[in-house]
Amino acid sequence: MIQLSNALVSVSHVGDVLLTMTVLSVLLSLGSNRLGALVKIMAFQGIVVSLIPFFLEHHGQMSTGSIILLQIMLLIKGLLIPGFMYAAVKKIKIKLEVEPIIGYNASLFAGLIFILLAAFITNRLQISLPVKNELLMIAAITTLAAGLFLIMSRHKALTQVIGYLMMENGIYLIGTALAKQTHTMYVVEFGVLLDLLVGIMIMGIIVHNINSSYDDVDTALLGQLKDN
Amino acid sequence: MESILSFCFAVLIAPLLPAVIQKVKAYFAGKQGPPLLINYYTTIKLFKKGSVYSTSTSFVFKMGPVVGFTTSLMMLLFFPMGEVSPLLSFHGDVLILFYLMGLGRFFTILAALDTSSPFEGMGAAREAFFSTLAEATVFCILILFFRLTGSLSFNEFFSGPHAMNLMGEYGALLILVVVGLYIVMLTENSRVPVDDPATHLELTMIHEVMILDHSGPDLALIEMGAWFKLLFYSGFLARIIDPFHSENVIVNALLFYAVVIFVYVTVGVVESITARYKMNLVPKFILTPFILVFFVTILTMGVLQ
Amino acid sequence: MDTLFVSMAVIIAGGAAGLLLCRQFTLMKLVAIATTSVGCGIGLLFTVPKLLSGGAELAVTYNWLHVFTLAFKLDSVSLFFLIPIFLVPPLTLLYSFHYLENKDKKLRVGVSYFFFSVLVASMALVVMADNMITFLLAWELMSLSSFFLVMYDYEVYENRKAGYLYLIFAQGGAMLLFATFALIYRHTGSFDFASFASIPDASKLLVFILAFLGFGSKAGIFPLHIWLPKAHPAAPSHVSAIMSGVMIKMGIYGIFRIYLLLDAPTPVIGQIVLATGMVTGILGVVYALAKQDIKQLLAYSSVENIGIILIGLGIGMVGVSEQNQAMAFFGFAGALLHVFNHSIFKSLLFMGAGSVLHKAKTKNIEELGGLMKRMPVTGRTFLAGSVAISGLPPFSGFIGEFLIYYGAFQGLSSQNLPYIMTILAIVSLAVIGGLATACFTKVVGLGFLGEPRTAQAANAKESGFAMGFVMSIMALACLVIGVLPEPFVRLAFLGIQDVPAAAGFNTDSFIVIIQHISKTAALFIGLLLLVSLFRKMMYVKKEIGSGPTWGCGFTQPTVRMQYTGTSYAAEMIGFFKPFVPVKTVYTGIRKIFPGKTTWESEVVDIAESNYQLRLITPMLTLLGKLRWIQHGNIQLYIGYIIVAIIVLLLFL
Repeated sequence: MIQLSNALVSVSHVGDVLLTMTVLSVLLSLGSNRLGALVKIMAFQGIVVSLIPFFLEHHGQMSTGSIILLQIMLLIKGLLIPGFMYAAVKKIKIKLEVEPIIGYNASLFAGLIFILLAAFITNRLQISLPVKNELLMIAAITTLAAGLFLIMSRHKALTQVIGYLMMENGIYLIGTALAKQTHTMYVVEFGVLLDLLVGIMIMGIIVHNINSSYDDVDTALLGQLKDN
Repeated sequence: MESILSFCFAVLIAPLLPAVIQKVKAYFAGKQGPPLLINYYTTIKLFKKGSVYSTSTSFVFKMGPVVGFTTSLMMLLFFPMGEVSPLLSFHGDVLILFYLMGLGRFFTILAALDTSSPFEGMGAAREAFFSTLAEATVFCILILFFRLTGSLSFNEFFSGPHAMNLMGEYGALLILVVVGLYIVMLTENSRVPVDDPATHLELTMIHEVMILDHSGPDLALIEMGAWFKLLFYSGFLARIIDPFHSENVIVNALLFYAVVIFVYVTVGVVESITARYKMNLVPKFILTPFILVFFVTILTMGVLQ
Repeated sequence: MDTLFVSMAVIIAGGAAGLLLCRQFTLMKLVAIATTSVGCGIGLLFTVPKLLSGGAELAVTYNWLHVFTLAFKLDSVSLFFLIPIFLVPPLTLLYSFHYLENKDKKLRVGVSYFFFSVLVASMALVVMADNMITFLLAWELMSLSSFFLVMYDYEVYENRKAGYLYLIFAQGGAMLLFATFALIYRHTGSFDFASFASIPDASKLLVFILAFLGFGSKAGIFPLHIWLPKAHPAAPSHVSAIMSGVMIKMGIYGIFRIYLLLDAPTPVIGQIVLATGMVTGILGVVYALAKQDIKQLLAYSSVENIGIILIGLGIGMVGVSEQNQAMAFFGFAGALLHVFNHSIFKSLLFMGAGSVLHKAKTKNIEELGGLMKRMPVTGRTFLAGSVAISGLPPFSGFIGEFLIYYGAFQGLSSQNLPYIMTILAIVSLAVIGGLATACFTKVVGLGFLGEPRTAQAANAKESGFAMGFVMSIMALACLVIGVLPEPFVRLAFLGIQDVPAAAGFNTDSFIVIIQHISKTAALFIGLLLLVSLFRKMMYVKKEIGSGPTWGCGFTQPTVRMQYTGTSYAAEMIGFFKPFVPVKTVYTGIRKIFPGKTTWESEVVDIAESNYQLRLITPMLTLLGKLRWIQHGNIQLYIGYIIVAIIVLLLFL
């Protein structure tokens, strides 16, 4: 009598859901005003983004190697990096407010403009893409642009790292969209990710040091280090 | 006949459901909470009472509750509650209905300003501002639904080959719509985290402070209007979420109301685990769903067509 | 056609009678008002049946001084615009009977009636004109007569300044029109409107943009609107009513006419109009919200409504270029219907503001309050007008907006830029609607409700009978159009029957929707009455107490503690901060025992401040450097003349 529609089972459907989730997380991060919440959103985004390749139809059957690579990636993006950052947020006693240079409302509108631009760029690129997945392209470009925007528009060093991470997610998605052969791409991506992980660890140390010598982690204070 | 019954049922059950929210909140607080029928008792009590009117007020103050109640009632007349086609429906009804809600708001604000109380003026200003932002989201949702179903009426949104359902062909897109609509629901019905009617200070309220000076049957009308409005929005959400479909009308209606109750429960959970936003962060909270739904409308441009 | 000229002659005669009889004050007012109204009545009796019968186009030409040909033509669009031109003036004139009461200013009142009649006649001529010369003559006549009307209280410096600003914008706009027509003339060598379509496609866009700016300065598109909030408070209220209700629509007429004449379905034109409409609409309403002077607020709200009308026109034009007939049809029809509706409720609101100004001697919302009890007719009609202008059912404003919405929704089937433009148009309309609600709840809630904030407001009495009567009629009209919209929607449909893009469109299915809307509105009113009755029953034999407003524990409230218009709008203005800058001046507390301190805030019109900064100041510095030419020596001036003549003779 009661029938559950089986549309959810379709693989590409899940892919679409994940992509929409990515954009959702991008927009949430633009409007987020607490550092802790921002890190959590990034963790969510990391997980979603690393899951996406599993559900893309055009990647077909994956080799065991790439599956393992993807799993490690999921671990790093979704757990390790956000974990380090969360620890940093908790450890250094700083104000947990994000301190935007461009206000939250304006940032959200900027997000809207990125989406529009991404849609237009995707429309342009459509012909040259190997496989047609416009949603993937739009999500990727939006994530990338929003990451850059976050770096540009927030004061704190931590938010800049988060912006960088988001940009990296965007690049990763673009890579997924462009690549037909999965394996090689993930290796490159994996290298980048390891770099990033090390970067975050170093950042944790540096931020801690800035904090102890400047009593704040505002990047504006780094300006004091410049040559006069 | 079914439509009339469904409408009557919706009107009758509307006061019951908010008690679910109270129950959930009480559960989180480790209390027993009020009885489920609390709102019926309150309504009857209020209708038995007389009223005290401020000497500052004019006839507009008395019109506020009446207009607000009537506009909310109109929503129920046009909305397909319980998967039964509504009493009235025509192509384009969503436009006039959301504008009628605007009329209700117009008179609620005027009634608040009529008391010449600075607190109520403050609440009125916030109500006017936040609902404007929420309206943008609502119209974005209407745009999307028109694009996908080619219709402009509540009934047609949820019937026909392209019915708007999470399990349907556009499910991925509708997730964001559900998120957006949920936030709109919280905003329009003055729930946490936009508004907290339970705070100790009138300065920090929105809707509750606007009706400070209403009493007796007037207050009862306002409360009932608010319950209808909440039922309408959660019904709207439930129609999108509702994964079940059955041939039997009654089973369908029951399942629908189960989903509605689920929506109410989530509202209760949200109220229990979050605090109200700082007032200057509320616009950001209301803008997020607008951007989300706008994103979805952009996606329909070439992606899923 | 001759009937129209007769009606115009009667109208002018009415004005002239005002001038001649100015010694007999009351008689003069009666004769002028009656005669002009009869003239308008004749015009209406001709126009409406003509439009209803869907009659063929009429054209007449006269030779004037054997040099100029004056050509007139009537098509459905002209006929539709003639309706508000003839409908609103008699009502505003009747209102003026009790509004212009100062017997010491007999001559001035007479002159005012004269120019009023000239304004009405010239507006009629504008929509009838069929060649460049006729059009520009009528246009200039309209601008100048309205300039004299604005200068009614010329003793006040502010008013003179407002008048000159208006003149600058009117003439600047006219200059752009001259440029437009010159450009066309260069291509065609003909003054005829009919020849416009034959100019090369490449120059059509430039021609349209020039004309758009020229007409836009009259209509009040952003950023060419800054004369409106100055001129309207300066002018007497019945003049503001006619200027805002009818005259600025001539700009809309011009834009629509030039679009039809150019016959250029370039997508860019529609997109320009649509984008301008959105910007004008949103910023207009935000500035309206920011103003505390009722008449300034209404002026900005006119800017907003021009925006809505332009959104309608833009939707129509995009529809034409997208070859989406439904979109084009409803866009144009919605724009026209909104022109008609706005002419009624905006006049009503200006008259209400005038009535307040007349009796409470102030138009600042922060000094008003409690007028609903003291001026019941003004208050109730103003409330009706406010609901109508906020576009809420069951009043007239909703119907026009509904048509525009409907047109826009039809456009959602397009792709890419037109699709995004359409989405933005719908969202802007929704936002404009919400902000308009905020804006007019502010006026009604703070100006008419609550407690009076000053003694002036507390002592206000209801205005004269004529004023109340006119306002009641107009408020009723707003309600009737909202509840029984079908004939008016049909009228708007007839208004665009001569527009090629709309021809042959089947409206039957839409008429059904309009009937449903009408039924819904009626049902709503019925339910409202039922609920009111129920509420009444609930209060039978109950104790009704009265007391002071609950002050949340504070027991010494004063009227000054009421919420102010500035604070009501502050949050919303803050949201639009980059576009709506707020200038605050705070003297601060400096001494140990603080003296008196002041805090002022003012919303600066971004267009105005930018003109000041980027246009006027550089120009003044530049021209200041040429000051040495001005010696004040008469011989030298004659020398200049001789040099000028020689140079001209040498080079030309």
